[in-house]
Amino acid sequence: MLCFFVASARSDIVVVVSAASPISSLSKNQVEKIFLGKSRRFPNGSRAVPLNQSEGNLERDAFYQMVSGKSPAQIKAHWAKLIFTGRGQPPKEAASNDDVKQLLTNNGVNISYIDRTAVDDSVKIVALK
Amino acid sequence: MLNQLKESADRPQGQNSASSTDQQRHPLYIIEPQLFYPVLLITLLLILWITTFSLISANHQRAQESTISSATALLHTYEAQVVRALREIDQALNVTRRTYEINNGNTTLSMLNDWGLLLPNFLFVTSITDADGNIINSTRAFEKHNVSDQDYFRQQLKFDQLASGQPWQDPYSRTWKLTFSRKINTPEGAFAGIVFTSVEASYFVSGYEESKLGELGALGILGTDGIFRVRRTGEKVVSGEKVNFSDLVPNNEEFEEPESLEVRLQHNSWDKVKRYTAVSQLYDFPLAVVLGLSEQEQMQKVSQLKRVYLLRASVASVAITLIVIVLLRLSLQLKHSRNSALEEHIAHAKKIEHLAFHDSLTGLPNRSFFSQLLSQGIAESKRYERCFALLFLDLDRFKIINDTLGHDAGDELLKEVARRLTEALRETDTVARLGGDEFVVLLPEMNDEKQLSAVAKKILSTVGRPFHLAGQDLRVTVSIGISVFPTDGEDEQTLVKNADIAMYHAKEGGKNNFCFYSDELSADSLERLALESSLRVALDRNEFVLHYQEKHDLRSGEITGAEALLRWQHPTLGLIQPKQFLPLAEDTGLIIPIGRWVIEAACKQANRWLEEGLAPRCISVNLTERQFTDAHLLDDIASILHTTAINPTQLELEITESVLLSNFDRALETLSKIKKMGVRIAIDNFGTSYTSLSTLDKFHFDTLKIDGSVIRDIANEPSDKQLTEAIISVGRTMAMTIVAEGVETREQADFLLASSCDQVQGFYYNKPTPPS
Repeated sequence: MLCFFVASARSDIVVVVSAASPISSLSKNQVEKIFLGKSRRFPNGSRAVPLNQSEGNLERDAFYQMVSGKSPAQIKAHWAKLIFTGRGQPPKEAASNDDVKQLLTNNGVNISYIDRTAVDDSVKIVALK
Repeated sequence: MLNQLKESADRPQGQNSASSTDQQRHPLYIIEPQLFYPVLLITLLLILWITTFSLISANHQRAQESTISSATALLHTYEAQVVRALREIDQALNVTRRTYEINNGNTTLSMLNDWGLLLPNFLFVTSITDADGNIINSTRAFEKHNVSDQDYFRQQLKFDQLASGQPWQDPYSRTWKLTFSRKINTPEGAFAGIVFTSVEASYFVSGYEESKLGELGALGILGTDGIFRVRRTGEKVVSGEKVNFSDLVPNNEEFEEPESLEVRLQHNSWDKVKRYTAVSQLYDFPLAVVLGLSEQEQMQKVSQLKRVYLLRASVASVAITLIVIVLLRLSLQLKHSRNSALEEHIAHAKKIEHLAFHDSLTGLPNRSFFSQLLSQGIAESKRYERCFALLFLDLDRFKIINDTLGHDAGDELLKEVARRLTEALRETDTVARLGGDEFVVLLPEMNDEKQLSAVAKKILSTVGRPFHLAGQDLRVTVSIGISVFPTDGEDEQTLVKNADIAMYHAKEGGKNNFCFYSDELSADSLERLALESSLRVALDRNEFVLHYQEKHDLRSGEITGAEALLRWQHPTLGLIQPKQFLPLAEDTGLIIPIGRWVIEAACKQANRWLEEGLAPRCISVNLTERQFTDAHLLDDIASILHTTAINPTQLELEITESVLLSNFDRALETLSKIKKMGVRIAIDNFGTSYTSLSTLDKFHFDTLKIDGSVIRDIANEPSDKQLTEAIISVGRTMAMTIVAEGVETREQADFLLASSCDQVQGFYYNKPTPPS
């Protein structure tokens, strides 16, 4: 039952960009790289600035599970290593789906994820290949 | 002594020098393969294994150096990362407290968060307390309301610098955490609380990379108090462990040169893993960074390489050993075949040598080898003042046997004689065959006449045993002459000559005998030699004459015939009797031409008498054994009968009993052929031997001549009378003409007449005289 819930919850997460963004589709791998600090650019060469949801948000855990298959602890360890070794800084965080939508429009960040139900005109769903 | 000489002579002299030149020609032969190949093998194996172990050692050395330098580099990196992380923390705490000191509001943290001046939220929890330790602001819902009992709080009461407390375990997440704090001051400088941030201890070891540190590496931060703030090995992170700080950093006090980092291989006290361990104390903080590389892991490649090397070396060792073994076997085979070729060569050489020095028929040393042995023996005996005896052997009647039984039988006889001689003598004695029927024997260290006589007698009896040859038993006798070194000669020639002289004496003394050499013999021998040489020319010089002893018919008293008797009219010695030269003639074979001359001369005389008008007379001629066995006898007789045109019945050939007995069958054949020519045959000297009547019957003699010794004592000996009467009776029965020889008295003549003897001859009637 729980598995089903997690699975369904995960399937509800969508990767979004601002409505004006030229980005329309990315591979899971590209998304994972962007959100794990391994890649700073979109395939078209423009700068990618990811926006995370706060630690403990269901969307956050579901998102990472979806794109990388990693647990929250693994994600944490990953960032701890990047930060500790000085090779990166974690993405900014938004507290909720709504904050995400708001921040995506004009705060320098240009890619994030939200629950599908929270999608509206302000954002564009990035198709995952 | 002589035997040793013989052995040394048997051995080919060239053998040693041949093998040494062989060695020079083939250098491999200098070292025997049995030695060379094991040495080669050991050398190769030594080289192989020394190389292998030095490679392994070099690899190990290199790996160790690389591990040490790698540990040093990793520790320096780690130290830099820790110092930077600590400074980041300090900086964030400073920013927070300064902002709080100015702003002094509960929004400080959220404001700083928005500005991005706080440490990342999801790793760090930052909180602010008041002066009493009550948490008044936090990036997360705080678990503790008051932290005044915590060491990171109390430390800030004492000084104004970054403080870090002991690691503590989060009661909810069970993870170990580290807390860092900074003091907040009032504008007046009084203590107003602290700002502190907690982070999972694992953060400080998140740089652990298995690719560099392995699964068993060690990475951690150690307080100078000996308590590990955090330590990681593989995925395992531990905090709060207490170790002996000075064990890890022994030169704590003198640690002034950060570059002079010491990497030590030690069993780490905390988990007993052996590591290349490096520790560096931080400059600003009471902390040290620790890094360890597991020896087992770091040396794994080297160990694998070592195993590979060992395996390869082992395989190579086995291969080398096998190859060397194969080479050894091949070279042993080669050597063996070389050796057998050499042995064959030597055997061949020996054979040739043997042939050159031995008589092929009997296998005894030959004349040249004997000569060598003798001269060596003389030299040795002279040096050691020893003596030895030389026996010269000559088979009696060998020529006759050879002529009558054939050469094959003669050869068989010689072989058998050689065998018997060798058997009869000591090992140390030497028997050699000089050729023909002449043998010599060397008896080392013997000069005593008694001993030598014993040896000679032994030889006589050995050779005297019957031989079975060509299907018949026959007896052979030998005559032996003995000379002794040094009394009878000190050189080879003299010794041999004197032994030869002694042998001739033995022969003349009746054969089947032995004789020691003496100077008197030598004188005789000289005479004999002179006789022999003059005998050879006597025939050509017409020195032989025939005397005739008439045979008378007892009843009528008429002369019926005559016996031709040979005389030698020697130019200086005068008239010589047959017994003085006939043995010599017989031995030398001169009897054959002489005998032929006798028969021819006798026949001519018979014709002469006829021409003189006398009544036909029957001429008797004696045949010696040698003559009788001569292959040309029959031809000679036939040719004489032809040239003289004599009536064959006028010729009578006389042979003695002993001639018959030596070879019965052949004698029978020869006599019957002579009879066929019409020549009369007579048996001479009858009564002196043991001819059986049946023998007499088989030969069909025309005439029987009673030996003079039988009738000599007729007047006094009744038994002789009876014997004579019996012989006459038998002779008459067989229709033979009975002739009595050696009649010297009237009594004898009367008795013979009374006994019906046919004819007589003897001094009573006339002595042999030259023809008138």
